[in-house]
Amino acid sequence: MFTSVPASLRHLIVPAALVAVLLAVAILRAPLTFSPVGLAGAVLVAAPLILAAMALTPIAMAGRGGVDLSVGPAIGFVNVTIVVWLPALGISSPFGVFAYAIIMGILWQGFLAALIIWLRIAPIIAALAGYMILQGVNLVILPRPGGIAPEWLASWSFGNDLFGPVLWILLGACVFWGFFTRTVLFDHLRLLGADERTAYTVGIDIVTARLAAHVMAGVFIGLAAVCLTGMIGSGDPTQGNTLTLQAVTALVLGGTSLAGGRGGITGSILGAVAMWLVFVVLSSFNFGAVSGFMTQMVFGLILTASLLLSVFTGRARVRTA
Amino acid sequence: MSSVAVEIVDIHKSFGKTRALRGASLLARAGEIHAIVGENGSGKSTLAKIASGIILPDAGTVSVFGATPRTPVAAIAAGVATIYQEMMLAEELSVWENLFAGSDSTWRRRRSNTQKRAETHEVLSRLAACPIDPDARVADLTLSVKQWVVIARALVQKPRVLIFDESSAALDLEATSRLHEEMRALRDGGTAVLIVTHRIAELVKIADVATVLRDGETVGRLERAEITEGNILRLMSAASGHSARGRSAAATAVGAEVLSARGLQTRASAPTVEFGLRAGQIVGLAGLEGAGQVEFIAALAGIAAPVGGHVEAPSGQVDGLRAAEAAGIVYVSGDRKREGIFPNLSILENFGMAIYPRSGRLFGLLNGAATSAAFAREVDRLAIKSGQPGDRITTLSGGNQQKVLIARAFALSPKVILLNDPTRGVDIGTKQALWRQLRAFADAGGAVVYLSTEIEEFFNFVDRACVFFDGSIFAEVAATDLSEDRLLAAMFGQSAAPTFGDAALSPKPAQMEGAA
Repeated sequence: MFTSVPASLRHLIVPAALVAVLLAVAILRAPLTFSPVGLAGAVLVAAPLILAAMALTPIAMAGRGGVDLSVGPAIGFVNVTIVVWLPALGISSPFGVFAYAIIMGILWQGFLAALIIWLRIAPIIAALAGYMILQGVNLVILPRPGGIAPEWLASWSFGNDLFGPVLWILLGACVFWGFFTRTVLFDHLRLLGADERTAYTVGIDIVTARLAAHVMAGVFIGLAAVCLTGMIGSGDPTQGNTLTLQAVTALVLGGTSLAGGRGGITGSILGAVAMWLVFVVLSSFNFGAVSGFMTQMVFGLILTASLLLSVFTGRARVRTA
Repeated sequence: MSSVAVEIVDIHKSFGKTRALRGASLLARAGEIHAIVGENGSGKSTLAKIASGIILPDAGTVSVFGATPRTPVAAIAAGVATIYQEMMLAEELSVWENLFAGSDSTWRRRRSNTQKRAETHEVLSRLAACPIDPDARVADLTLSVKQWVVIARALVQKPRVLIFDESSAALDLEATSRLHEEMRALRDGGTAVLIVTHRIAELVKIADVATVLRDGETVGRLERAEITEGNILRLMSAASGHSARGRSAAATAVGAEVLSARGLQTRASAPTVEFGLRAGQIVGLAGLEGAGQVEFIAALAGIAAPVGGHVEAPSGQVDGLRAAEAAGIVYVSGDRKREGIFPNLSILENFGMAIYPRSGRLFGLLNGAATSAAFAREVDRLAIKSGQPGDRITTLSGGNQQKVLIARAFALSPKVILLNDPTRGVDIGTKQALWRQLRAFADAGGAVVYLSTEIEEFFNFVDRACVFFDGSIFAEVAATDLSEDRLLAAMFGQSAAPTFGDAALSPKPAQMEGAA
């Protein structure tokens, strides 16, 4: 089945089909979403999730069961510090904010990488610890939502221009990833994720490769935080937290193997878009007070169904032996 | 004399309580094929890993063209390419990605991906003698093609020192001689080729120099003319050659039929196989790779259903693992990593796994005392060199892992033991012990089917050898008629024995299975 599809693209069959189906339903149920203004709002709302899912991708690809659970609070951390620390430092220019966000993202990922590489802590444990640490830190820095983003950034929250800065950030992130995939480092990262022992014995510098995965994740976390700050126009110590589980769902929907070695950014983006479409479709029904739970339940069902489907498209293999 | 390539002086290395090396030395020159020989656990593989920068010695000096490799990166930079006993492959990635893994430095690409694909195709066509799709996933390849991929990976590095650690284990005779040609070509080009091997016949044929290890110590260095089976065996251990093999001179009493195959087909188009095994018999299975002997033994064991026909035991038809268990059939594989050990479990657990249901108590509780007692018995009988029974099985050398697996089989007190190339990567001392145990088992009324890729194992051991060719049994050779020529001829589908100089010279049927 699906043998005409190149093996390197096979993991995209299910997420692409899912997006297509959801898109059709969404157009029927909520046509207004697809007006220029509606789409501009959509890009604004979906951007933090898309970038968070992109941040998870290289780390998952690097293997050892690496799922960076801390991605949500890390985005939240950069968000609250943009609002609280940067004004105190007198930084408000676009360049300053972007540079700060990206550097902070990289520093945080560097910290996690150090735990994983040199202290040999399992990635999932390091990420879980990071998740909890940052949740606390965020609340200490900003106990309740508030603060004001720099004016140019806060103006993004109107979201009435489709070709606004958020779309360019997303495109830029994709181009950046595109360049990364053409480097030797990316090849090494794939090998590292597919079989770390092999990678080590054939003379690959596995420390550099793993660091590269975290640096890439750091860049995407920084960009996600800028987008989040633009979307809410202020600081929120808890909003980032919910991104973690959504991003992990998007990652898995997108066909990236949590066991490492296989996957890519395209899948993660498709996964994130699919999740946003589910949200749009569900919003068009009136579930009243339970709509939040309904969304969660549907995410879970779709995730399970898509993993089952992927077995038949050959992107995942059932191991019974 | 040519320059010194690898010089290892008085190396010591311990893993926990196990002293793998204590005073091992080696001197290999450029342009020679240098064999490293020794029993299981004598430290050969450890020595190879030290030269490759994978393991750091506790004491002693290592020099590869003057450099001391302390990481694989440094070793490769010094010109070392190593082919490890464990096949180092990223199974989910493509052939070409695996073949050129590590060929680029982190910041500079040396070949484009198009070049890599083309070179992969070219080098594998030459080595594996069949076209292989560079984009095929490695997991879909046969064992021998995988072996060629790791060998090719080392060759494309154009190494100054090439280390083979038991790397011909998965190759059949004809492929092995092709590998030997490659080794000779490299040697003539000035490369120092180090081979770690158990196949004494192989190294006698090919090595220029041999370093012999015993219990982690270098006990001898042999040059060209001194490299004979006798000399090596004498240095390696106290055991001596063929005379120690298990077959008693007296004809064994043969009992009732315990296992038979009727009209069995290993593949759709192959002729049927009729096979009978009686109590007290040891039957050898041989054949070139892909000739059907592996499918045959899997069918006998109830692991994989044959394409046609069926397998019968006195207890009924053997059509699955339950039926095989009921018939008292046990199966031991030489592919320890995939079909033998549970790498995360202890030695004792690996041993006890199969007997838990029998020795267990009420409500499925394990009977630790009974398992330990059975283990102690088998450790004694098979002379397993192990640390604590609670240590992980992977702390043992390959040969001792195999002994544990064979102990597991014996502990089930079976009627029939099926062995699929059990001596892969196992030294001569362990082999001889195994042959003796199997003969004792047969003499006590058991029956044995013994598949081997090394036909010299059959001499003075099996009662008859079934040689597979093209999917079914081509010839059955009685013990009295066993000879290397006779078996080789049958493996290549010839009923008469021509004069074989070298297996490579014979016309070769296209038996290699390529990528799917």
